[in-house]
Amino acid sequence: MQKDISLIGIGQTKFGEWWGKSLFTLIEEAVDSAILSAPCSALDIDFIIVANMLAESVNGQAHLGAVASSLLPHHPPALRVEAACASGSIAVHTACALLESGRAETVLVVGAEKMTDASGDEITTALMGAADSEKDAPCGLTFPGLFGLVARRYMHEFGLSRSQLNLVSARHHLNALKNPFAQFRQEMTPEQIGASALVADPLRLLDCSPISDGAAACILSTKHHSPMRIAASQTSTDALSIADRPVLTSFSATKDSMQRALDEADCATSDIAHVELHDCFSVAALIALEDMGFAESGEGIRWYEQNTPMTVNASGGLKACGHPVAATGIKQIIDVSKQLQASGKRYGLAHNFGGVGATCCVHILQHSPHAHA
Amino acid sequence: MRTPDSPAVAARSLTRQKARLLPGTLLSFTTVTHPPKGFPDRPRQIGLIELTDGHRVLGALSGSAEPKIGQVVIPRMHLSRVNAEGLRLYEVVYELTERMAETASETKEFPGYILALTGPSGVGKTTVSLLLTKMLSDFTTKVPIVTSRTPKEGDDQEYDYVSTREFERLEKSGALVAWTHLPSESEQRSYGYRKNDIEAIWEQGKLPVVVTEMQLLQGLAGHFGRRSILSFGLLPPGASKRAMLSHLLHRMRARGRETDAQIEERLLNAQADLDYFTRAAHLFDHILVNEDLDSVLKVIKGHVLELSKA
Repeated sequence: MQKDISLIGIGQTKFGEWWGKSLFTLIEEAVDSAILSAPCSALDIDFIIVANMLAESVNGQAHLGAVASSLLPHHPPALRVEAACASGSIAVHTACALLESGRAETVLVVGAEKMTDASGDEITTALMGAADSEKDAPCGLTFPGLFGLVARRYMHEFGLSRSQLNLVSARHHLNALKNPFAQFRQEMTPEQIGASALVADPLRLLDCSPISDGAAACILSTKHHSPMRIAASQTSTDALSIADRPVLTSFSATKDSMQRALDEADCATSDIAHVELHDCFSVAALIALEDMGFAESGEGIRWYEQNTPMTVNASGGLKACGHPVAATGIKQIIDVSKQLQASGKRYGLAHNFGGVGATCCVHILQHSPHAHA
Repeated sequence: MRTPDSPAVAARSLTRQKARLLPGTLLSFTTVTHPPKGFPDRPRQIGLIELTDGHRVLGALSGSAEPKIGQVVIPRMHLSRVNAEGLRLYEVVYELTERMAETASETKEFPGYILALTGPSGVGKTTVSLLLTKMLSDFTTKVPIVTSRTPKEGDDQEYDYVSTREFERLEKSGALVAWTHLPSESEQRSYGYRKNDIEAIWEQGKLPVVVTEMQLLQGLAGHFGRRSILSFGLLPPGASKRAMLSHLLHRMRARGRETDAQIEERLLNAQADLDYFTRAAHLFDHILVNEDLDSVLKVIKGHVLELSKA
């Protein structure tokens, strides 16, 4: 990081199915609580970045920069970014670029998605926009279908069993019990996960992250400081279609952004105390652990078979906390900061990707409890 | 909202599939319980298939038995569905056969082979090699070029900089497999490849990729034997030599890596290089015209995948 960027405010809505709330209300709720938690006033915000994937097709609403800007009395300049499920982290990445360049000093980043306004069919088609519309979609694939292909190949190559895979979602559900913002705060046994309905063989309903409404916001600043610093913000991309990739069971965008993030933060995997990773489907969590260097190829499941010192998806992850697409990347950073605050540890990491790993963004937070006390 | 059911989308998809009506091997498969709107509402089996030409495609599978990874599939035209406007939409489906493919395509070994890209300055060797090693990152690695010249802005981490004395020491100790000295009026440069670098890549079961020029290519062929090199010559587009040279001049000016004096000198070298393609044709397996980056990459990728099976 070329500048000292602090995370000075965080806020989010509870994720869930909010029939009574609009996209506007969700954004407002998250922004309000982020501003309330910050040591500055709303008037200090000199730029807004909005992350969203589906508002045009699902909510009939474009022009989200202006939507967010109109919430603040001084209407700061605002823009919207989109990178499918990675929209949230890409928004934070964009904010870092604005802060590093000196174009802004305090940036509000808000990610929001209101998915339950549309039918399941419409959402399925809209989400497929994250894949290649010419190569992947015409054969009738859905997004779970793409990850079904990945999961089948993974199980074939590494001999992962169905009962092992069940452990992933079971752990995420258990973690969500402690998260007041989570969509599903109930325990699920591995047996229940293995017995849920097939969605895209071998993936079952409880392997998949849900359709959710929600918003998350954070405030980043070079002017105001906090003990929570953005130590690294790195993004990387890969071929959009899985047919154009040499391997299915590893995502090079994750590997690449992770390596560059560690270099930028000047730390090692062993320094990381908390990870929030992108488990849009259970198998994705295993691949992410391997690609980030926390496990050897095929060994990611070890993190779910035993208790480990580093926490993985303590929030419940996308599976149990919910996955309002563009809010997720920001929510992960919020959760990592809360976890560092509670544990007093130094480094935490958020891993967020879009599509089948075609865009990946890794953020590392550095916590220095005494530096600004 | 645009759906896969749109006749235009289905037509484009069919055209693409028909252009490549080849048998292949099943890499993975899934059954989508509820396919998207527009498709018949029954579970749909879809596979990721590697065709015999090395391309990968996604397509519906047909056959009554449970598919297996590694199974051979053959393409067939099939009436997929009739859409709301009554249009009959066709697709290529892949029929499962009893046969299993002989080699697993995911593990590739390249014992003793080197991929070489040769061409005049400005033809796009670096770009091609970067994209190729990224596209085939699990099978290929770029070999760093050891050089005695000083780093310049615009260098793409392809060089390993050493002092002139260190270069001489490497050369004398036999650590280099090929080297060249380019004394010139505008700059003094030596380039070479370390034996260790190439051998380390082989040990990982990968294919070393070298971006090279005539002298170094001859050196490599002399050291490892001509047959161990999969050698591609890259030519700039243009019907005549003059057109080719003017193309190179444009590219070098645009990338801004060299001074005007250096560009002039490199153009002179380029003239000699272009002649060399005809004089030393035996050093090249394939000569490609870098007119369209995508097709150049596709051709090279195809040859690399073919090589790994041999």
